[in-house]
Amino acid sequence: MQAMLSFDQAPPLAAPLRFFLTAPLFAAAAGLLLLILGPELLASRWTAGALAFTHLLTAGFMLQTMVGALLQILPVATGAGVARPLGVARAVHGLLTLGLLFLVGGFLTYRSELFQGALLCLGGGVLIFLVAVGRALAQIPMGSTIQWALKLAVAGLGVTVLLGLSMLVNLAWGLSWPLLEITGIHLAWGLVGWGVLLLSGVAYVVVPMFLLTPAFPGWLTRLLAPLLFLLLALWSGAEAAGWGGAPLLAALVAAGCGTFALATLWLLVRSKRARLDATQRYWRLGLACAVGGAALWAVGQLWPALGLWPGLPLLLGMLLLVGGFMSVITGMLYKIVPFLIWLHLQNAGQGRVLAPNMKRILAESAMARQMAAHAASLALLLAAVVRPAWFAWPAGLALLLSNLWLLVNLWRCLQVYRRHLRHIGEQLAAAA
Amino acid sequence: MTPIRDYMSGDHRRCDDLFAAVEQSLSQPDPALPAQLFADFCQATLAHFQAEEEALFPAFEQATGIRMGPTQMMRLEHVQMRSLMDEARQALAAGDQDDYLGAAETLLILMQQHNLKEENVLYPMCDEHLAGHAGELLPLLQKTTGSAQS
Repeated sequence: MQAMLSFDQAPPLAAPLRFFLTAPLFAAAAGLLLLILGPELLASRWTAGALAFTHLLTAGFMLQTMVGALLQILPVATGAGVARPLGVARAVHGLLTLGLLFLVGGFLTYRSELFQGALLCLGGGVLIFLVAVGRALAQIPMGSTIQWALKLAVAGLGVTVLLGLSMLVNLAWGLSWPLLEITGIHLAWGLVGWGVLLLSGVAYVVVPMFLLTPAFPGWLTRLLAPLLFLLLALWSGAEAAGWGGAPLLAALVAAGCGTFALATLWLLVRSKRARLDATQRYWRLGLACAVGGAALWAVGQLWPALGLWPGLPLLLGMLLLVGGFMSVITGMLYKIVPFLIWLHLQNAGQGRVLAPNMKRILAESAMARQMAAHAASLALLLAAVVRPAWFAWPAGLALLLSNLWLLVNLWRCLQVYRRHLRHIGEQLAAAA
Repeated sequence: MTPIRDYMSGDHRRCDDLFAAVEQSLSQPDPALPAQLFADFCQATLAHFQAEEEALFPAFEQATGIRMGPTQMMRLEHVQMRSLMDEARQALAAGDQDDYLGAAETLLILMQQHNLKEENVLYPMCDEHLAGHAGELLPLLQKTTGSAQS
């Protein structure tokens, strides 16, 4: 009875975990791609390799972890869970994984049937996810700021994917739409409209609670999500219409993101936790990269010599995707996965067999060493943009290894889970 | 007006501060300090559980007729937190700092997601259904949780 009750709110372990275990594989695949293609991949952001690389990190690592985390966190943070979470997770995970493989294959070979497959799978997967999460979010009353941020983030994902799908239609059937403009708008909605909004909504809750910092200022949590959403919508219209005010709107969006990153860093410095664990160091690295990325973008706007350098978008991409989002997400995975395993083992033990605590499920030293590998791969990737001929191969290798290491760490948690579950079975059978 | 949510959420933050103090004391030269501060944290947290289990939850259950819903879930999590407190206390007594940190980290996350559910879902429901009883209920909650402060 006890176990049943506590599972009422939390989805089965297999629902979020499949996303968390697939994500590092995609990031490792990005590293492998760079290792194979070498400096050629970094010639410009428009090379087939660069597009495949970017989507392995965004639609692979970021989307997979964010979908898994949202399925898990919704019932806790809002009291409204997704109905039939395991079925939804299986369908969404399968379609997103297959869709991304088609997409990457499409970029690398430019075969229209692969783009058609990507269109169907990614469109279907995201649609199922949006309907399931949308129904859960519709049940909760308006009011709390995190709910606003989550609702707008989910809408942001919808816009991102719609724009992405429209480009796929174009590629799959050889139409001639203005792909360059749509790409910029698609990218901004993905990074800010979905990524930053979801991250900020989750951060408002998890940063004060798990890292014991002061609460986020009320004005920030109230204003940031609606303001960024509005500014993005206005900027998209201005950009599409070729209106001169677009750069100013883009600067405001960048300033909003920078403000969030700085505010979060400011809170982290005031954390009451005495020890800087892997999660906290990952967060500090990620937020520092976000602030650095916003500053670099601003300098690029003001200083034409830098702004016209073709490496700038790649440098920004590495800084924001690998340095910013991947760092913060990995830091969260290192709290979420060991805790979920503990929770499910504790429930399986029915209070009679105790679960191993989180640090026995995944040791602090294992996380710290993997983080060092991640930081090294980030440094090499940034160097590779500046000197592709020297650093492209080492950077690819480092990204491959640091993500395989992350996978090994998460896989070890799963091994502890399986081993302990057998132990519980034996103990309970012996007691019966 | 959300008097129950405001008061009980404030008490959560008080327990958080006591938890943080234990962690900070681990680097202090006084070896007896962490166990002493951990006892303070446990006393405040257990008093909070007591106020909920003996006053708030029964009142909620009586007013709504919901006995096997959120309050039952919260009681179960109280049991899990008590067990982690025992594990952490034993680790401190044995002088095993790593094991204390592992148990404490697990306790913190369990406690915080528990608090989140109470503050976002259960306490607002209590304020809604117990609005007419807040006058007598609130002093009772203050007395039970406050007893740990003296």
